[in-house]
Amino acid sequence: MYLIANIIVCVCALAGFIYGGIQFFRPKKALYAQMITLSLGCITFGRLFNIVRLMTGGTLSDHFQLGFLGLIGSLMFFFSANYGTVDSLVDEGSKELKKYRLIAIAAPVVIVAMYVVLFLLSDIPTLWKILGAVLTLFAMSASYFNLKHLIFPDVEFGVVKCLRKYNLLALIYTAAIFTECVALSRDNELLTLISCCVTGIVTAAMIPTVVRGIEKWKT
Amino acid sequence: MENMIYILYICMFVPLLLSLPLIEKSSRRIMVFLLIGISAALFISEVNGLMLRLLDYDALYVTTTVTPATEEIIKAIPVLIYAFVITDNRKKLLAASFAVGIGFALFENTYILITSLDSVSIEWAIVRGFSTALMHGICTAAVGFGMSFVKQKKKLFYCGTFALLLMAIIYHGIFNMLVQSTDWLKYFGFVLPLLTYVPIVIALVIRVKNKKKAVNATTE
Repeated sequence: MYLIANIIVCVCALAGFIYGGIQFFRPKKALYAQMITLSLGCITFGRLFNIVRLMTGGTLSDHFQLGFLGLIGSLMFFFSANYGTVDSLVDEGSKELKKYRLIAIAAPVVIVAMYVVLFLLSDIPTLWKILGAVLTLFAMSASYFNLKHLIFPDVEFGVVKCLRKYNLLALIYTAAIFTECVALSRDNELLTLISCCVTGIVTAAMIPTVVRGIEKWKT
Repeated sequence: MENMIYILYICMFVPLLLSLPLIEKSSRRIMVFLLIGISAALFISEVNGLMLRLLDYDALYVTTTVTPATEEIIKAIPVLIYAFVITDNRKKLLAASFAVGIGFALFENTYILITSLDSVSIEWAIVRGFSTALMHGICTAAVGFGMSFVKQKKKLFYCGTFALLLMAIIYHGIFNMLVQSTDWLKYFGFVLPLLTYVPIVIALVIRVKNKKKAVNATTE
């Protein structure tokens, strides 16, 4: 079941990675989109590691596995894309927009609350409590900007307005990988498969959404 | 022999070091990074030995999960210093980081060769040359690419470089796991670095050709 789940995500992320590579890795293309493409590359490599580990007779839940770094890397690229490239265009720090910044804090708060309930206070191995904490840390930073850019009015440039769908997908992705880690920590194969199917669909839809969003930047 | 790794290091490092004043400036830079890569390999051998002892000599777990992380981090440090202190020129960084990776692989290959003389063959040499050496070069070059953003886009640099480092670690881990598998998967491991290297080189050649065409068109 774990093998099938990882193959689903790997194939979907690889398709997105190749499509993104063809679309965005050319001169004068948006760095933002290149970052998202690289995040899909990270997901692909992480899942490929898991697949090879399972095919060579290993397991995913007993020890720390490098495949976990794929999840962290993807969240870092999501964070980098939003914080490093478009956030300064969207938010100049004016007081009128403070409420949107405060609402966006809801995403990291929810993630911390989920971590406390599902990892910290649960009867699961210490390894998963540590991995959950690391994932929470990176998911907090990425999800803050995803939610912020989802709700921000962006009156002046209309930059993030075109990328709302992508930011929604990124939030769903974060929730899905969080759920997957919860399922893995409890050896729940069915929940792992369901969360991986959601992750697969989201990763496959991500690049076409970004392509459409960035096309609107030009018009 | 107990001190074989140090003997080998001196034998390789000293002649290359002495050749430095005699070679051209651009080649000298590459040679310096090659020497850094060789030194990194010596340092890593100590770190990996320590890790092996800490993890109860579980060699498979250490080589597929721990050593990719330690090796990629140590190889990235000199490139990071170079990017911060000297230049963030992408071409120079890519060449320097690739040289660190190749220097690392050169020392690793030679050490394995002299410590397992009975089991090495021409096939072994081809596999080590085309797969392991290339894999080390590709992984470090990927991190070097991220570091070229050090001065242009600082917001991107910290996270972007760390994320590229994670990608390199996973790639290294996949490679180590594939080549150690006992079934057909190991053959996929042997060709994985070539499958990564060849498309990158083709893309670079096409880009250079297109640039030349554009320059020629503007001059005409």
